[in-house]
Amino acid sequence: MKNNLKVERAIKDITQEDLAKIIGVSRQAINSIELGKYVPSTVLALKLSLYFDKSVNEIFKLEEGD
Amino acid sequence: MKTRFLLPHKCKLIGWILLIPSAILGYFVVFSDLEFKFLELKVLILYSNGPAPWDPKGHFGFERHNITATVVGILFLIGALMVAFAREKNEDEFISKKRLESLLWATILNYAILLFCFLFFYDFGFMYVMILNMFTILILFIMRFNYVLYRSSKSLRHEK
Repeated sequence: MKNNLKVERAIKDITQEDLAKIIGVSRQAINSIELGKYVPSTVLALKLSLYFDKSVNEIFKLEEGD
Repeated sequence: MKTRFLLPHKCKLIGWILLIPSAILGYFVVFSDLEFKFLELKVLILYSNGPAPWDPKGHFGFERHNITATVVGILFLIGALMVAFAREKNEDEFISKKRLESLLWATILNYAILLFCFLFFYDFGFMYVMILNMFTILILFIMRFNYVLYRSSKSLRHEK
């Protein structure tokens, strides 16, 4: 699964740490999602979608093989 | 996300305070028969040195034993359980996943080591294996989980 969390974060000009605080997760979680090492739960994906005011499909995309 | 079965975060510190001294004492209990005189007590037993487990002799009653190993073992287990299963300060779904992966890793490695020891250790050698194997799964888990957390927080320093 790909995601453009890093881009969205840059647009909003918010650090991983601040985003993690707002969403209520660890900074490692945000970092690992950006690095493609961790696939978030639906709840977390929805929270991110709510924060960036974009649909989940705009932030996360399926890759071949998923 | 709420994780069940975890202890409050402050238990981790209390756990380390129990774990470190009891690990050092435990080393001497196992390898050089350390026994404290003041722990020579009459204790309640459910089964001790009977002729056979099904023989009523040796069941129930009070016997005099040195309970150094008992006390150290219990303190070690309580300490290790507290360290292993205290909530992290920022416990979330990511850390829960790392926790479960580490537990799986520790279980597999623990039994791989035990299988190896079954093959190559006999008599008293195997008794030592059994004694240590009571504790290794927790030790392996604590090492793995904390290493994984350390590694993931280290990779944060490169990111903004």
